[in-house]
Amino acid sequence: MTTTIIWTIAILTVLGAVLAVVLYIVAEKFKVEEDPRIDEVEKVLPGANCGGCGQAGCRAFAQFCVESSPNLDKCFCPVGGNEGMQKVAAVLGVEVAVKEPQVAVVRCNGTCENRPRTNEYGGYQSCRVKAALYSGDTGCSFGCLGCGDCVAACQFGAISMDPVTGLPVVDEEKCTACGACVKACPKAIIELRNKGRRNMRVFVSCVNKDKGAVARKACKAACIGCGKCAKVCPFDAITVENNLAYIDFTKCKLCKKCVAECPTGAIHAVNFPVIKPKPEAAPAAPAAPAAQPVKKEE
Amino acid sequence: MEKLLVSPSPHLHTSTSTKSLMRDVVIALLPAVVVSVLFYGWSELLVLGVSIASCVLLEYVITKYLLHKPCSVGDYSAVVTGLLLALNLPSTTPWWIVFIGAVVAIGVAKMTFGGLGQNLFNPAIVGRVFLLISFPAQMTDWTRPQGFIGGGLDSISGATPLGLAKEGGIAAIEGLDYMDMLFYNIGGSAGELSAIALIAGFIYLLCRRVIKPYITLSILATVAIFSGIFWAIDPATYTDPVFNLLTGGLLLGSIFMATDYVTSPMSNWGGVIFGVGIGLITMLIRYFGAYPEGVSFAILIMNSVVPLINKVCHAKKYGRA
Amino acid sequence: MMKTFSIGGIHPNDSKISKDCRIEVLPLPSKVFISVAQHLGAPATPVVKVGDQVKVGQVIAEPAGFISAYVHSSVSGTVKSIGPRKDLAGNNMTHIEIDVEGDEWVEGVDLTDTLVTAIPEDNKAILDKIKMCGVVGLGGATFPAHVKLCPPPGKKADCLILNGAECEPYLTSDYRIMLERSREIVVGAAIMKQVLGGCPAVIGIEENKPEAIKAMTEAVAELQKSAKGYDGISVMTLKKKYPQGGEKQLIDAVMGRQVKSMGLPIDVGAVVQNVATSLAVYEAVQKNMPLITNVLTVTGDCLPVEKQHNYKFRIGMPLSYVAEVAGGVPEQAAKIISGGPMMGKAIANLEATTVKGSSSLLYLTAEQTVRGAESACIRCGKCADACPMGLEPFLLNKLARNGMMDELEENAVQDCIECGCCLYSCPANIPLLDIIRLAKGDVIRIIRGRSAKS
Repeated sequence: MTTTIIWTIAILTVLGAVLAVVLYIVAEKFKVEEDPRIDEVEKVLPGANCGGCGQAGCRAFAQFCVESSPNLDKCFCPVGGNEGMQKVAAVLGVEVAVKEPQVAVVRCNGTCENRPRTNEYGGYQSCRVKAALYSGDTGCSFGCLGCGDCVAACQFGAISMDPVTGLPVVDEEKCTACGACVKACPKAIIELRNKGRRNMRVFVSCVNKDKGAVARKACKAACIGCGKCAKVCPFDAITVENNLAYIDFTKCKLCKKCVAECPTGAIHAVNFPVIKPKPEAAPAAPAAPAAQPVKKEE
Repeated sequence: MEKLLVSPSPHLHTSTSTKSLMRDVVIALLPAVVVSVLFYGWSELLVLGVSIASCVLLEYVITKYLLHKPCSVGDYSAVVTGLLLALNLPSTTPWWIVFIGAVVAIGVAKMTFGGLGQNLFNPAIVGRVFLLISFPAQMTDWTRPQGFIGGGLDSISGATPLGLAKEGGIAAIEGLDYMDMLFYNIGGSAGELSAIALIAGFIYLLCRRVIKPYITLSILATVAIFSGIFWAIDPATYTDPVFNLLTGGLLLGSIFMATDYVTSPMSNWGGVIFGVGIGLITMLIRYFGAYPEGVSFAILIMNSVVPLINKVCHAKKYGRA
Repeated sequence: MMKTFSIGGIHPNDSKISKDCRIEVLPLPSKVFISVAQHLGAPATPVVKVGDQVKVGQVIAEPAGFISAYVHSSVSGTVKSIGPRKDLAGNNMTHIEIDVEGDEWVEGVDLTDTLVTAIPEDNKAILDKIKMCGVVGLGGATFPAHVKLCPPPGKKADCLILNGAECEPYLTSDYRIMLERSREIVVGAAIMKQVLGGCPAVIGIEENKPEAIKAMTEAVAELQKSAKGYDGISVMTLKKKYPQGGEKQLIDAVMGRQVKSMGLPIDVGAVVQNVATSLAVYEAVQKNMPLITNVLTVTGDCLPVEKQHNYKFRIGMPLSYVAEVAGGVPEQAAKIISGGPMMGKAIANLEATTVKGSSSLLYLTAEQTVRGAESACIRCGKCADACPMGLEPFLLNKLARNGMMDELEENAVQDCIECGCCLYSCPANIPLLDIIRLAKGDVIRIIRGRSAKS
């Protein structure tokens, strides 16, 4: 009995020792030489592994940063933002330019009211599946399909579907501008735009390229490409192409002249302080929930 | 017609649903249930009632309050589990043991994995094996209670035929009438009573295309061949093939438990491998193991290799020789 | 023993309600809208201007690439506009709008019913005619017919298979032409057979159409007796099973050969054409008639017998007009399908117009077509049993939902023929094909990208 116990212990001990040596040798022999700075950079990253930077994850991004150092122009972690990039730069001992913070903007105002449903979709609830099948359940073949692929793509819980309008709403506090929703949207409705001064933004909330009459028939709030906004813009920020106006956010000075001029209310101005109650503000209502300051939960 | 409905093709759908499939399994089990109730009487009715009620109740409570998933009681899968569990227990099992079995079957074996379709092991068998290990005395109490008919049955038999063979060798089972066993006289769990009733269920399932025959037939064939070889070599030590096919819940296990969709391989060849494995392990346990019978253990062991079998065995693809 | 394909397949109820309705000619509407994308490949380029006077059969759009086709005017009248109009999926496509004035045909088209059995000898001239008449495959894919009839160098056709399976439930247009135009179809087959180098031709018809089998067999025998060039044509009865009419399945059933993954039928010596295509080839080669008409079925369980129709239509007629002539859209119809119920397209826009490949207006009730709520996969394997390509849809579904492209390719998602057997047979109502179809597109794009690089 005792001998059995002793033998068992002895054999296991020897086995353990031998295996430890083998493991050590293998670990030494096949060791991958890595820049220790990669670990350090990874430590200061948010660790969301969202891929918003264009790399496979935070580790890959850290490696990318170290490789492209000292020039970090192409590296930007949307989650950590400028603050995070400053930390990365500090670790690597280089300088990095401050980038304008961005936010995802939904450019469709085809609410159930503005854009009546012409048919009913009965397949798998996915915008990609729906887009591959047909133009959607409204007369507008450009607008939001409403199945929420963007909501599923967002890792930060920053997009939700508004049950009343059937459109996605971006929570600006939570949005990191990683761009996952932009990629997920088969209709290319979501765009990353500069957050703007005090979060104030003016944009065309429509991507319909149909001719004015057709677009208007499908949706009351469609951009009909009339070009009035482009004429009134003092800063040449608005271009009209394929019956659709687009406001260049780098040129826009937030004068809001176009907002008043737009006959269909397709141009939205958000986060502007309310000075006097304007009747035109009504079309912008769907964007309003996002505009309200959201209290941070932490 | 108000608004046209638009969806991707196909636009038609079969009338078969999860619910109809499970209902067919319940129907296929009915002959065995009827026979067991007739011969074992009120106590069997109690076991069946407690088992089904607690399985359905547990499924409802867990999906609704713990998993917060849509309730899956309506699809009859819990009823099937409850039925199979009850048929795998002696008819004398006290109600609280049946309830514990149901807790293990539904709560542990099914819901911890995520509910219907996710479980690795057959819930009813997990429940049964748990009870067998935890309550060996009650679980091998093969006293036959008074049934509604068949009062002439041996009502004090203390062991199953397989148990007898394990204890007393081949001599102990001499005099068993195989014709009797085929119809109503197999000692053991409630569901094993009548081979004919189980085979009727099997034929129903095949006709309704609920299951394919590969798994069941390969289990039975393996058992027959394996025991046939040993019996031919040494009939004094080893029991014969017919005895092995009819006893120990082999039919119940191979027709209703091994063919469970969720815990069996998807491909036909995978099913054959799975069946052969179950047959071999069953016979190894019966001939050389400590337990008199091993179908449940064999199915559990083979359940655990199903993912591997699925990885290796695929359907034959078009244009890929 | 009747032949059929070897893997998978399903047996939906065939519901050929309209099979006894003779083909009627649809009256002309006051206006037609002819799409320039009625074929697989590049949309054709319009060659008429607004205000032009056109005649029936005049070319109004020319092919814009190798895989493309001519489009002809189906009416005579004035071109009213050329511009975007929504197709049946609601997407914009260029349509040519023509105001109908009379019914004046271009010169040279033989409008008589006389059967022309003598086959021209010059194969090149035949192919030219097929191309000039804008003939495309009418079995569903609308692939330009002349391209399929010119095997690439080094490849030879061993067998021409005429697809008369019509395995989709409800559809009866092929059945009707096999009954009413059987001899013309056989002449078309003989023409294509000659172009392909004289290989045998097999007309495959499913067992549920005994009258069509009889009519076609008689037509073949009659022509073989009375004219030259009709040897080697035979009719083969196939077991009823969906998707028998799938190109790959039909080749397997008739020839016992299987096309390799990502391969073409010609790789195994097969050319498959629909019987309707054969009729179009006959019309084009023997009668100089461009492809501007086809037959469509108006049917559905919710439609009374007297409103069931098989119509000979001209391209460019609004579907709403066809529905109106046929007696209106029934109240109970929840979904209208162009094509069969297994692979056809649900119509989102009834103002869309008929195209060369239109084969039906099928009304389905909500009860028939609304999908049940998706529930958990119970791993029953019914989808894998049903898949005619031997794929494992349950696995592909899981891989696709997790975006595992390499594994999807390993498990041959690119071989999917989108027949719908998996979704049809799933007891848990999992939208298998919806998801697999997307994954298939992604994987094929990856494969193409890779071969373009190397």
